[in-house]
Amino acid sequence: MLSLARCREDHCITCADDGEVMGAQAVDESRQLARCAGAGGIITVDIALVSPVAVGDQLLVHAGTAIARLQGSA
Amino acid sequence: MRFVEEFRDAELGRALSGEILATVEPGRHYKLMEVCGGHTHAIYKYGVDDLLPANVELVHGPGCPVCVIPMGRVDDGIALAHQPGVIFTCFGDMVRVPGSEGSLLDAKADGADVRMVYSPLDALRIAKRNPDREVVFFAIGFETTAPSTALTLKRAKLDGVANFFCMCNHVTIVPPLRALLESPDLRLDGFIGPGHVSTVVGARPFEFIPASYGRPLVIAGFEPLDVLQAIHMLLVQLAQGRCEVENQYRRVVPYEGNLRALEVMAEVFELRPHFEWRGLGFISHSALKLTDAYSELDAELRWGVPGVRVADPKACQCGEVLKGVIKPWECKVFGTACTPEHAIGTCMVSPEGACAAYYNYGRLARERQAV
Repeated sequence: MLSLARCREDHCITCADDGEVMGAQAVDESRQLARCAGAGGIITVDIALVSPVAVGDQLLVHAGTAIARLQGSA
Repeated sequence: MRFVEEFRDAELGRALSGEILATVEPGRHYKLMEVCGGHTHAIYKYGVDDLLPANVELVHGPGCPVCVIPMGRVDDGIALAHQPGVIFTCFGDMVRVPGSEGSLLDAKADGADVRMVYSPLDALRIAKRNPDREVVFFAIGFETTAPSTALTLKRAKLDGVANFFCMCNHVTIVPPLRALLESPDLRLDGFIGPGHVSTVVGARPFEFIPASYGRPLVIAGFEPLDVLQAIHMLLVQLAQGRCEVENQYRRVVPYEGNLRALEVMAEVFELRPHFEWRGLGFISHSALKLTDAYSELDAELRWGVPGVRVADPKACQCGEVLKGVIKPWECKVFGTACTPEHAIGTCMVSPEGACAAYYNYGRLARERQAV
């Protein structure tokens, strides 16, 4: 289940207000969505708050939404 | 992974520990509050406190989203979960938070359709796949999580999803910090500021702390070297007689925050006049509710909730822990009646809670050896 996959063994990253660094693998700017990979696997991420996003960008993702692009990641 | 491993380097950690030791004044006691539960978790997971001199004390703040939810709100959520035909969705740790007569997990065992989700978008997907059911998303979290909820509500409205509702429990970080600074119980020398909240709100909202209360704050990331460096920056400020907001987490946090996130939050949310915080009581303008433009998505308006204030169990001292007045192990029920498996208080439920962080990482030794 998606929620369980995203929660690491020792804590729920969403409850924690804890962002996760993820790399953008594919980007659909028209829908403001990106496929991103991180330690917990691959998910679809809402990129409306940080677009434009390029493949390879490192994003801080929280609760399925990218809230920052890491400086110097492009 | 880039931006992660390099901030866990043990050699650099030892070097920073030496810098910290060289900065502190012998004979002076330093009390620093890490605001965010994520920092508390990192400190005990990586043993950051073992790298500090004995006269540098870390105090755990109120920044654990699950820990600050009062029992009455859990009861309200459970009441919605028991509504006929409702699918009730919430984040993972929230299902175990005790209300006055059990948790959401207990409600699920009693037949309520309670489902864990990773994101509000997951909850919206469930609503789209179940058009004959009404789906409630129990929204918790600080300004880190609120933009995700706001974007999801915008998408729901844009897509005309009529069976998706939000019970909003989002809180804001500045009012409880102000309440703590006004508290006579607590004497703090500085703050380790919340890194991911600051990603959204920026550094400016914290400037009142040095300006009005004469305490420095350093915004910090969540890897062990981030926390150690932030502590060093705070101690350097104190040694030099400076008192400022500094940003250790520049790789993520821009000074002005994420303006688009603030914009979407302003469209979807407005401040509640007051909100009850576990352990801190009612704090004015410290939580969010949906604006009139989104009222048709407001679960509390759709069904109404009991809204009964419930006192914490007498044995539980989460309030004092959340205010940093006592350490987790000083609570009467810590590790005995209250454990992660059978939590009485919220601080033991979420691993970001100070009690669970102490418990899970074996931080039961009450005396630290001087570094």
